Amino acid sequence: MVQYEFKLPDIGEGVAEGEILKWLVREGQVVKEDQSLVEVMTDKVNVQIPSPRDGTVTRILAKEGEVVKVGSTILVIDAEESVTSTTPGPQPSPAPDRVLATPATRRLAREMGVDIAQVKGTGPNGRVTEDDLRGGPSLAGQATEPAPPTPGDRIALRGVKKAMAEKMSKSIHTTAQVTLVDEVDMTELVLLREAFRGSADKRGVKLTFLPLIIKAVVPALKEFPYVNSTLDEGSGEVVLRKQYNLGIATDTPAGLMVPVLKDADKKDIFQLSAEIEKLAGAARAGELGLQEVQGSTFTITNLGSIGGLFATPIVNYPEVAILGTHRISKRPVVRDGRIEVRDMMYLSLSFDHRVMDGAYGARFLNRVIDIIQDPKKILSEIL
Amino acid sequence: MAVLNIVQTVNQTLRDEMRRNGNMVILGEDVGRNGGVFRATEGLFDEFGGERVVDTPLAEDAIVGMAIGMALYGLQPVAEIQFMDFIYPAFNEIVSELAKLRYRSGGHYPAHVVIRTPYGGGVKGGHYHSQSTEAYFIHTPGLVVLAPSTPADTKGLLLAAMRSPDPVIFLEPKRIYRTLREEVPAEDYLVPIGKARVVQEGRDVTLVSWGAMVQTCTEAAALAAKEKLSVELIDMRSLLPFDIETVLQSVRKTGRLVIAHEATKIAGFGAEISAQVSERAIDSLRAPIVRVTGYDTPFPYGLENMYIPSPERILRAVRKASSY
Amino acid sequence: MEMLQVIRADGGYDSKMEPNLRDEDLQKMYRQMLVIRRFNERMLLLQRQGRIAFFIESTGQEACQIGGAFPLTQSDWVYPGYRDPGMCLVKGVPLKALVDQLMANADDPNKGRQMGVHWGFREWNIVSMSSLVASRLAEAVGTAYAAKIKKDNIVCLTSFGDGATSQGEFHTAMNFAGVFKVPLVFFCENNQYAISMPVRRQTASENIAVKAEAYGFEGVLVDGNDVLAVYKATKAAVDKARSGGGSTLIEAVTYRLGGHSSSDDPTKYRTPEELELWKTRDPIKRFRAYLTTKGLLTQQEDRKLQDEVDLELVRVIKESEKIPPPAHLSMFTDVYAEMPWHIREEADELTREGP
Repeated sequence: MVQYEFKLPDIGEGVAEGEILKWLVREGQVVKEDQSLVEVMTDKVNVQIPSPRDGTVTRILAKEGEVVKVGSTILVIDAEESVTSTTPGPQPSPAPDRVLATPATRRLAREMGVDIAQVKGTGPNGRVTEDDLRGGPSLAGQATEPAPPTPGDRIALRGVKKAMAEKMSKSIHTTAQVTLVDEVDMTELVLLREAFRGSADKRGVKLTFLPLIIKAVVPALKEFPYVNSTLDEGSGEVVLRKQYNLGIATDTPAGLMVPVLKDADKKDIFQLSAEIEKLAGAARAGELGLQEVQGSTFTITNLGSIGGLFATPIVNYPEVAILGTHRISKRPVVRDGRIEVRDMMYLSLSFDHRVMDGAYGARFLNRVIDIIQDPKKILSEIL
Repeated sequence: MAVLNIVQTVNQTLRDEMRRNGNMVILGEDVGRNGGVFRATEGLFDEFGGERVVDTPLAEDAIVGMAIGMALYGLQPVAEIQFMDFIYPAFNEIVSELAKLRYRSGGHYPAHVVIRTPYGGGVKGGHYHSQSTEAYFIHTPGLVVLAPSTPADTKGLLLAAMRSPDPVIFLEPKRIYRTLREEVPAEDYLVPIGKARVVQEGRDVTLVSWGAMVQTCTEAAALAAKEKLSVELIDMRSLLPFDIETVLQSVRKTGRLVIAHEATKIAGFGAEISAQVSERAIDSLRAPIVRVTGYDTPFPYGLENMYIPSPERILRAVRKASSY
Repeated sequence: MEMLQVIRADGGYDSKMEPNLRDEDLQKMYRQMLVIRRFNERMLLLQRQGRIAFFIESTGQEACQIGGAFPLTQSDWVYPGYRDPGMCLVKGVPLKALVDQLMANADDPNKGRQMGVHWGFREWNIVSMSSLVASRLAEAVGTAYAAKIKKDNIVCLTSFGDGATSQGEFHTAMNFAGVFKVPLVFFCENNQYAISMPVRRQTASENIAVKAEAYGFEGVLVDGNDVLAVYKATKAAVDKARSGGGSTLIEAVTYRLGGHSSSDDPTKYRTPEELELWKTRDPIKRFRAYLTTKGLLTQQEDRKLQDEVDLELVRVIKESEKIPPPAHLSMFTDVYAEMPWHIREEADELTREGP
């Protein structure tokens, strides 16, 4: 069926417009070719315009008494045959071809929440490749940098961004999230990090605060297992996880990704550092494997380097809690009745109140803070 | 520690076990006074006598049958079938009896027999001295099928076989009987049955093989490395039971699988591995699974070198898998 | 070749030929023959009633089974055929165990895995058989050989039919037995038929016993319906083997009074006249006459014995029928000593999803 747009024809003699006098057909009416559709008045003459097609009148686009220009559409007919008309209607979308993609690529698409049928394939025979999904440089090597966003643009949520949108939404809508914020005195930890810098350099790893914080978080997770759990909605059971796989929220050019540090309890700070570097690098290069983004039991997110005092991070569903670390800044605090300048940081713990309550969360956070503030406890974790 | 080739390793291992286990008996054609046509049982007749190193008349069916009767009585027989190509007269004893005795007797009659047999081509032996028909035996529940590729593994697997409570078909890669030499530890050690060995780690393509082909695959992997293709080579060692987990772990990493065997392609063991990987790791596959095998013809005589997969043919398969 | 006989068909006997057996042994033999006869009749009935799936009767071959196994000791090994439940009985296997095997129930030591009549009982050194009729012969050679080199005072006996002697495996096993001079008795029950194939078309040799000569040891021809002749010949062969004399082939000439199996109709290939002729040579009738003559059995005692036997059979069958079949997971055990992962996976699947 072709939607045939009937435009006011050039009736002749330089007529540029006409007034609709009377419609001779209704919407929904079946008309035959040559049947009169409408009476139009021009400067010169009144004419009856015949239908060019058999078909059904689907839409009448001009009212009686309205003046319309020659060439503007006044009526749409659902015509029987598809013919080459002077102004073809919008073509129906062709049946989608089977998407060519290997099983691994399809799996990646599912993981990313990408509809593979919407991705343009640049592989042989139009096959969708993993690079096509990641929106990274294609195998052919064409590096087309996306144009910077301009007001008025319509940018589809694709790939990593789309996955993030869905994940965040699901988390908020499914869980009962609460955020607890507290501050921690990082002064001792800063000194500890300095102390370990030499050893770190020797091992060729850059020691950030994250491995040290992980070393404080893991024992707390062991003590407060509900923080490292997941709610099986089907059976209504809280599953206390046996592994300590930490999701490390990472900012990449493609968007937010959360690579997973497996078995964080079994690694020392240098191993943690090395692995964090590796995962972050892979994330930014778009080379994370499926194993590396699955299986996290607890997530840590750090916005400190960029900005903000503290935040209310969104739980990485189906986990139960997420810890946000933030900017370390020197602030005056009261210690033993005196004012001292200490390196202070806020910690924000968002958690699912269906599984744990504020008191439990607070105790967990206290423990983390307790360890961070007394790094001898971290040392004993390392040894 | 001594540097031994495979047939020397077989000889030494048999000797050690004969000394250790007074219930062990070796039987087969020409294994006694002649020391075996490949010299695998050299010197054993002199050391242990004709009662324990038995020269049998020419009848493979009775060799295996007799070995079964011995095992049921309590001996540990190690029978030799001179060439895998000659095993067929004994096929009934192997499939109907050996493989099923434990099961059919409710566990009361375990037929722990080891059948050693040289297999494979490359010795200018034509149709009847070159076959690799491990598939017939892998397809028979109740049998254990082993295929070592190195002297060290030969010792470990042969000892494991001789101490196994189950019947074992032990495939000896005769074309590399003497060409491959390495340090074989003198102490007693077993290679676990049912465990594959990662010969070398790699990132791009998984290459699976066993027996004499492992050597060829090693050469192919080296050629691939020159083209910046990193091959992970796996030696199955145990064909039944087999270690699919090692293969899966590798395929999950590389996403590409090539299987190389000199046995004919149709219904070869490569087909089983391929099916298993498709069933269990389909989402990891970045390319179709490629098999490099002997052709579906009888094993040729004059054109033998074209039949057995060469390192170049395997390399082409690796390229094909990696460029899909 | 002369056929060894002690008791003639009419019950008359040559006292010079009588073997050295005590009265209670003779009576025991008779009882056992009776048990097997009644067992055969009863179990065939059960098969026709659908209470067991399959049965092979050995009616008419009771003298072979009882006489052939009687000379064996507890520790001697037997590789029997499907027509030798009597040999199992003589060795000490309880009647219930035979019935359990036929019913493939959970009490069967073979875990109900095998088709009926595939006897195998470890406790009495009876080796589990397959359906391939001659495969066990070389195995029996192996067991005899092992006993020999271990210097154990053990003899092995393997029983098979006339049909099996055509298989290659018969010949290679006999050859090995001759070469290795093993303590093995090859006991051939020539019941004249291999399913529908009469023995005269199974082999061109004058008889089966003569084939032993080709392999370097003695062949003995025996009236297989004369339990004392069978006993005598087997005893001699067992003694010879035990004393290091090597193997013997015994051909016991008998007749298969019933069909090959519960799925066979022998009237398609045998004449009623032939059947009637062989019925006159019935081994139980013959032995009964002998025992009566010797004053070891009265009609009353015989009657009483038959009733006892029948009663016991009924009791055993009733007991066996109560036993449930083995658990479904038994399908997956004993393939190997330890269950490998690939079988465990399949077992789990069956458990989870059902058949």
